[in-house]
This record gives sequence, C-alpha cells and structure tokens, in this order.
Amino acid sequence: PQTSPLSCSPSPMRGPLLAAAGGAMGGAGGPLARTIRAKLTAALQPTHLEVRDDSPRHGGPPGAETHFGVLVVSGLFAGLPLLQRHRLVHEALRAELAGPLHALQVIARTPEQWQSDPRAPPAPPCLGGSKRDKRRG
Amino acid sequence: VVVFMKGSPAQPLCGFSNAVVQILRLHGVEDYRAHDVLQDPDLRQGIKNYSNWPTIPQVYLNGEFVGGCDILLQMHQNGDLVEELKKLGIRSALLDAEKDKEKK
Repeated sequence: PQTSPLSCSPSPMRGPLLAAAGGAMGGAGGPLARTIRAKLTAALQPTHLEVRDDSPRHGGPPGAETHFGVLVVSGLFAGLPLLQRHRLVHEALRAELAGPLHALQVIARTPEQWQSDPRAPPAPPCLGGSKRDKRRG
Repeated sequence: VVVFMKGSPAQPLCGFSNAVVQILRLHGVEDYRAHDVLQDPDLRQGIKNYSNWPTIPQVYLNGEFVGGCDILLQMHQNGDLVEELKKLGIRSALLDAEKDKEKK
C-alpha cells in the first residue's frame, strides 16, 4: 500500500499533490505552471486540478519549470483507459511538451475515483537523468 | 516486455525510469529488453514519435505501448499488471508471494 503524503488538514487550495511537494511551491507558480493550469482547465474542465513544479527536485535552479506533476479530476475521463486519459492531458500540453516541459507526472481520475481515493503518490526522486549524458549537445 | 528508459536496469539514470525497473522487479520480471535512450538521441526522439508519447520511460508489452511510469504504477497497484503479464505467459512473482502468505 502506498504511503499517504503528510496532510493533517489540507486547505482547499492544497490537495495531496501539492502537500507532497512539501511547500516547495510558492504562490501560483511560475508562467509555465500558470499556462499548464489554464490549458488543462480549458481542455478537460476538471472538477479538481493540481499543478506541481518538481523542477527543484531535479537539480534545476529555482524557476526552472522543467518537470511537473499534474493531478486532474475530470468527468471527461469516464470510460477511458489510463493511456487515453494521459493522451488527453498530453494533447492539451502538446506545445509545452515539445518545448520546455521535460517530464510530466500525470494522475488522471474521474470525480468518482477521486472521491473514493483522494490521495496522490509523490514523484520518484531524481537520479541524474540527462545531466549524465556526455553526448548531450 | 520492452522498456525504453534512461540508463539501464542495473543502473537507471532517472527516477521515473528507476520506478519502472523496480515495479517490474517486484513482479519477478528482470529478463527484458531495455533500451537506453541516453545512448542514442535518434532513438530518444524516434520512440517518442512512434508511440506519440512525449516522455521517457516507455513500457511495451507484447509490442504494444502500455504507458509510462505513472500508468505502470497504477497497473501495479490495481492488479492489472499481474493480469497483463499473465497474458504474456509471465507469472508474476507477487502471486507466489501471496501464496506464501496464505500458507503461513
């Protein structure tokens, strides 16, 4: 069983995804965070949405905005297998994923699923990734 | 089982790729083809084009793209992964772990 993130009494704005970030996110986030939020809201009409900037945990400088996690709760996911749900999220963020967005953790649930299980796993820790790629140019 | 990842199963170079390796290992799946996209930039972009999926790692079961680490984790948690492995003729180690538990 997964461990729940620390969260005694979550405020309405901070669900488990953000709580797991341990307060690393400040305020509304940077420009990319706001873009992600706006695009996912427009595309998926979520009943619940959390956007978490994981970039600081991957060695980026503050404000790098390269690695994100999103938790999207939307009725549009009903009847869709996980792969299709994730593709919908990717489609909404196609331009960003072709550009600065390097990694995206996605949790996509229907409102019913979210109600029965309002928890989100944390992102796995960074292990260096492309920074170890000598051929990177 | 085929995985496109960063690094190798013996030494993953990315937390998401490592998560995939660890999950497969839990099911006793260790003998699979793993491709390190960091060794080949053409492969790295090519596999994203092929699956129309923007990120690494990518997991393929029986030639069919299944998803990345988030999806594999959810399949592991809800029991779907055991079923999918069964379809490939792979008996998940977790089934044996369950049997051992029941014996006690």
